[in-house]
Amino acid sequence: MPPFNKVLVANRGEIAVRVMKAIKEMGMKAVAVYSEADKYALHVKYADEAYYIGPAPALQSYLNIQAIIDAAEKARADAVHPGYGFLSENADFAEAVIKAGMTWIGPSVEAMRSIKSKLDGKRIAKMAGVPVSPGSDGPLESLDEALKLAEKIGYPIMVKAAFGGGGTGITRVDNPEQLQEVWERNKRLAYQAFGKADLYIEKAAVNPRHIEFQLIGDRHGNYVVAWERECTIQRRNQKLIEEAPSPALKMEDRERMFEPIIKFGQIIKYHTLGTFETVFSDVTRDFYFLELNKRLQVEHPVTELIFRIDLVKLQINLAADGYLPFTQEELNKRYRGHAIEYRINAEDPINDFTGSSGYVTYYKEPSGPGVRVDSGITAGSYVPPYYDSLVSKLIVYGENREYAIQAGIRALNDYKIGGIKTVIELYKWISRDEDFLKGKFTTAYVSEKREQFVKYLKAKEDMKAALAASIYERGYMKKATISTQQQQNTTRRTSGWKTYGIAAQSSYRVMW
Amino acid sequence: MKILRVFSDLGDVTTTTYDQKGNKDKIKTEIGEYEIEYLGPGWREGELLFKVNGEIHRVYFDNGFIIIDDETLFKIDRISESVVEEGKSLEELIKGKEGEILSPMQGRIVQVRVKEGDIVNKGQPLLSIEAMKSETIISAPVSGTVQKIMIKPGQGVKKGDLLLIIK
Repeated sequence: MPPFNKVLVANRGEIAVRVMKAIKEMGMKAVAVYSEADKYALHVKYADEAYYIGPAPALQSYLNIQAIIDAAEKARADAVHPGYGFLSENADFAEAVIKAGMTWIGPSVEAMRSIKSKLDGKRIAKMAGVPVSPGSDGPLESLDEALKLAEKIGYPIMVKAAFGGGGTGITRVDNPEQLQEVWERNKRLAYQAFGKADLYIEKAAVNPRHIEFQLIGDRHGNYVVAWERECTIQRRNQKLIEEAPSPALKMEDRERMFEPIIKFGQIIKYHTLGTFETVFSDVTRDFYFLELNKRLQVEHPVTELIFRIDLVKLQINLAADGYLPFTQEELNKRYRGHAIEYRINAEDPINDFTGSSGYVTYYKEPSGPGVRVDSGITAGSYVPPYYDSLVSKLIVYGENREYAIQAGIRALNDYKIGGIKTVIELYKWISRDEDFLKGKFTTAYVSEKREQFVKYLKAKEDMKAALAASIYERGYMKKATISTQQQQNTTRRTSGWKTYGIAAQSSYRVMW
Repeated sequence: MKILRVFSDLGDVTTTTYDQKGNKDKIKTEIGEYEIEYLGPGWREGELLFKVNGEIHRVYFDNGFIIIDDETLFKIDRISESVVEEGKSLEELIKGKEGEILSPMQGRIVQVRVKEGDIVNKGQPLLSIEAMKSETIISAPVSGTVQKIMIKPGQGVKKGDLLLIIK
């Protein structure tokens, strides 16, 4: 028996499609919601039912609690999956879902409220015995207060939106002038993105790694930590490439973290998937707690591949009072190989990763051994400028890191997207970069390598344009098009199947 | 010799010089020089072979796209040809008009920090555009006077739209 009849997915793009796949596999009906900009989107087509929830801007659609609850009631859904981003960590939304008599596939409202902001998370981390980086204990009232505190803890600092997520509203600041500059802008962005403008600051670790742990708990008090994901390759605090396990950790490093993380889970009675984000220093081998993400992570597939589990199905089962199907020891034994996720963003890496929206006019997806694609687009899809630029995820698996990278390069070569700019060419470069191959990188990797890869990417684009000019001027493209057209004309439109014998001789008159 | 402007479907413009000599093309862009030779049809139907600066590349066409080495793709939106104006250096021809600031992306203008007649220094922020959750600041590529501003805050812009002119 499936745990629910109909599950509404309050999200869009690749994650909505990914979650719906789990819903369908479990024998349930999947319901999509969509904004004006997503009328023809893949997640809308893929769902069993779809409901319109408002105009394109997220505040009026994917962040509009009332509109989504109305859609869920209209669809008679009995559970809501929030995906990541948007309302996934919004306790008010979870409460509204429960009030409407549906199951919330996520943490309990109390657990969410107890770590409502990143600051609450830091406090509980201290209780659980996890080291945290120095900074403000609460949201800062004013710029003056921020300047004073920054002076005390010392630059560089990170300015963060207390209610932020997905790397938005996080800015590194190196001096007081810069702090003055970013303060108002970040406040406005935080308000637009999360509805709350609270900011806080903490000391920035210098060149750390970004490593997160997957906590899983059930309602019966069982917990496991499904190891870590290395998310160090980032730009502007948004992850680009993630892998599991981390090439920097030894078993004893990760095992050291299991107990405090589980303790954290016990303190707030956390009974679903959660991600414990930390910064890790290669030198001191210390972890510092950043925040607990109370949702399914974008990069969950790398954990799925190395343990051969389906985290979304597990999450749905846990929401329906299910038990954790394995102990920590059993889970450790399930571990095999290495997985890497490449986030395919509609962005221009040559131009400071500015977003690129438009129609997808060419689309060829990779497949084959060790390749998984979680995509929110297909040929003809529209990538609207209103939302996140993540359009698809390429996840590769190999028996070890080297093999996974080989599969990655092959799959990136096979992945062809036209009509929008993507980061695919950049990932091909990174996948061949010496430091990446050795696993030697920090969160500054992308900014440090920028000059090198921009030069390479520009040269590649330039060569393509020159070759295109030559092809065009000599008319090769026209010739090729004409010859294929002629070929099509000579082949018959109808099927080449021929019938012989009695069937060919008989006419309908005889038959009737 | 002629000057070509290659407009890609993604709005990128590459200006090149173009010289045809026998079966070889000599092409020069702002950042590179290429000798391109057509070697003939490839091993498969629809495949062409080109030698670009000594390296052989396989090319085929699919749905209007040029697929190179079955690995990367390019689409020509259009190619325009212009005659070589006298007195203008090659560099000037390739780089296009100086001081015209085009929008690098589709988005919404958040803030315009200068007004017409202002004197700006190279690198000074001119305006910010918001798209895909993030704000991008456009800075002055050259020093000069802001001659004309084409946009207002709150206005939506498309990629390649002329935003302002610095003289």
